[in-house]
Amino acid sequence: MHASIGDRIVIHGHRIGEPDRDCEVLEVRGPDGGPPYLVRWGDSGHESLFFPGPDASVQHFEPTLG
Amino acid sequence: MQVINGIRRSGVGVRPEQTIREAATIMERSGVGALAVVDGEHLVGLITDRDLVRRGMARNVPYDARIDSLMSTPVVTIDAQADLHDAFALFRTHGNRRLAVVQEGRFVGMITVDDLLINLAADLENLSRPVMAEALFGHHDSPLPATE
Repeated sequence: MHASIGDRIVIHGHRIGEPDRDCEVLEVRGPDGGPPYLVRWGDSGHESLFFPGPDASVQHFEPTLG
Repeated sequence: MQVINGIRRSGVGVRPEQTIREAATIMERSGVGALAVVDGEHLVGLITDRDLVRRGMARNVPYDARIDSLMSTPVVTIDAQADLHDAFALFRTHGNRRLAVVQEGRFVGMITVDDLLINLAADLENLSRPVMAEALFGHHDSPLPATE
């Protein structure tokens, strides 16, 4: 997995009906955009390290002009 | 199969100086039941939701105490490139439900008994499919070799 600062990581629910969870990448600690990532969880403001598994995907946000 | 390929969930880590309240909130937000406690690049402990209850709440430890006061240490680890059967052996020896997976000494994730059981069930299903087909639809003989 490769991520950049500001990207959103989504952790998909493991059971039927379990909601997806998401966090924002604050720092990339691994080489070449690799993990681990320092992330912030939703509106709680709490930060942790994140080590992505097969249940996680990255949503990249391209910079927009204007 | 290598251990790294048997991991089914993402791992989450906290710093030793983070509080019990923070750790509990991070567990709730991330949906995990265990956190790695990481100091710099070093894995120093594991903390589970069970630890929060038994070592924290049950003993009236304040919620703003450091999380490393409740963590389990030393941590039983397994190398990411190890065979999954090595994980079976470690689970049997140590009686844990989780092992910290490390690559070149750094924490990369957690493998659980549940992960092994789910992988095993998938293997069994794959193995049983041709047997079931044979039982339901009859025997499949190989064609006879062509003769002149």
